[in-house]
Amino acid sequence: MERRYTFFLYAAYSLELLLLFILQTTPLLIPELFGGKPLLMIPAVVTVSLMEEQVPALFFGLAGGALLDLGCSDNLGYYTITLTLICFLLGFIFRDYMVVSFLNAMGFTSAVTLVTVFFYFIFFILLSGRADFSYFVSHCLSRILYTIVCTVPLYFINKFLFRNLRDF
Amino acid sequence: MREFFADKNRKILAFALAAVIAVSVLGATGNPIVASGFNFLTKGLSRVSAAVTDAADEKTYEELLEENKKLTKEAADLRTQLVDYYDLKDENARLWKYYNLTKSNPDYKILPSRVIRRDSNDEFYSFTIDAGTTSGIKLRDPVLTENGLIGFVSSVTAASSRVTTILSPDLQAGAIDKKSSADGVVSGKAAVSDEGLTTLTKIDANAEIAAGDIVVTSGIGGIYPPNLIVGKVKELKIDRYDATKYAVIKPYEDIKRVTDVVVLTDFKNKGQVKPASEKETR
Repeated sequence: MERRYTFFLYAAYSLELLLLFILQTTPLLIPELFGGKPLLMIPAVVTVSLMEEQVPALFFGLAGGALLDLGCSDNLGYYTITLTLICFLLGFIFRDYMVVSFLNAMGFTSAVTLVTVFFYFIFFILLSGRADFSYFVSHCLSRILYTIVCTVPLYFINKFLFRNLRDF
Repeated sequence: MREFFADKNRKILAFALAAVIAVSVLGATGNPIVASGFNFLTKGLSRVSAAVTDAADEKTYEELLEENKKLTKEAADLRTQLVDYYDLKDENARLWKYYNLTKSNPDYKILPSRVIRRDSNDEFYSFTIDAGTTSGIKLRDPVLTENGLIGFVSSVTAASSRVTTILSPDLQAGAIDKKSSADGVVSGKAAVSDEGLTTLTKIDANAEIAAGDIVVTSGIGGIYPPNLIVGKVKELKIDRYDATKYAVIKPYEDIKRVTDVVVLTDFKNKGQVKPASEKETR
C-alpha cells in the first residue's frame, strides 16, 4: 500500500470540524431557514469519508457525531453511533466499489441526512410525544434541505484539502 | 463471528462502538468523571461561541433606533394597560419586578450566569450556562431575566447547567392570567416554539382571557415563585386534537437569543406545594 503522510490533512479536517461546531452552535452566524439551521457536521464527515480509508473515516464520523451530540446534550449518543457506523461503511464502499464525484457526494449526503434526521425525529421527538408528524414536515424538512445545500461548499473544501494536503 | 473479526478494520469499528456505548452509558448514569470530561472538552469551544455571539449581537444605530421606537410604544401600551386595570401599588410592584428583582423580592437568592452553548439541533432552544453545582445551582431551579421566566435547570454538572426553556413541552409551570385570574399550565408547543412563543394550557373553557393580558406564575407547585412574569397573551386558540382552549403567550424576553440569565437558587416557600385555594391572585 502506498504510504501517505496524512498529519496535515487530518489536522485540517479536525480544524474544519471545530470551526463548523462553533459556526453551528453560535446564534446569528448562520441564518435560520423556517426556524431551522443546518447540521453541518453531517455533510462534513460524509464528504471526508468518501475520500478516506475506512478507519480514518470511522474516527471522523465519531468526532463529528460526538460534536453534534455534545452540542445539544451533555453526553454521547445517537449521532455519535450512527455517524461512526455510516462513515465506516462509506469508507468501505468508496474504497472498492464507487468513485468519488460531486453527484455521488450529494446523493449520499442527502440520503444520510434524511435517514439520520428522520430516525432522530422518530425516536426523540415523535415517540417521546413532544410533537406530531406535522413537526417533521414544518421543521425537520427545511433543516434537511438546508443541510444538503451546505454539502456543496463542504464537498469542494474537503476535496481541495484532500488533493493538496494528503502528501504534504 | 470469528470471520467478521478477522478483518482489522472491523475490529477497530467494534472497539470504537463499544467505547462510545460504554462512555454514553456512564454519562447517562450521571458519572461525574465523564460529565466533567465532556464539559472540559466543550468549554473552550463554547467560550469562543459565546464571544462570537456577543460580537454578532451588536446592533447598528438604525436597529437601535427602531428597537427604541418599538419599546417606547410597547412601554406606553403597557403603562396604559396598567393604569386602566391595576392600582398604583400593583403598578409599582410590577415595575420593580421588571427592573430590580432582588429589591422587590428580598427572599430571592439569584446567581447571574452566562449562556455558553446552544445547538441548532435542539428544537426547543434549550441552552447551557456557565455555572453548576459548585455555584449552588440545583436541579429544577428557575431561570429568569429581568423580563421574566426563561426556563428551569434540567440537568446540572459541577461547572455547567442545562436550561430547558419555556418554549419546551418538558416545562410545566402553574400560571395565572393577571387580569382575569384564570389559571392554567404554561408549557411549550412544537407548533409555536419556532416563533419564540409558548402556551398557557389547561385553562377553563369560560375563562375570560384576552390578547394583551399578562401571564405570571402562580407559585402553586413550589418550583417557581409566584408572580414571575411569563409573557403577554398573543391570541387564543383551540387545540385541534382535543378541542381544548389554550392561549399563545409571547414572552417579553427573546428566548432564542438570550445571553445573560439569572438562576433563582432559593426563594421563600421553595419546594412547598400550596393548595389551589391559596394561589396568588394579586
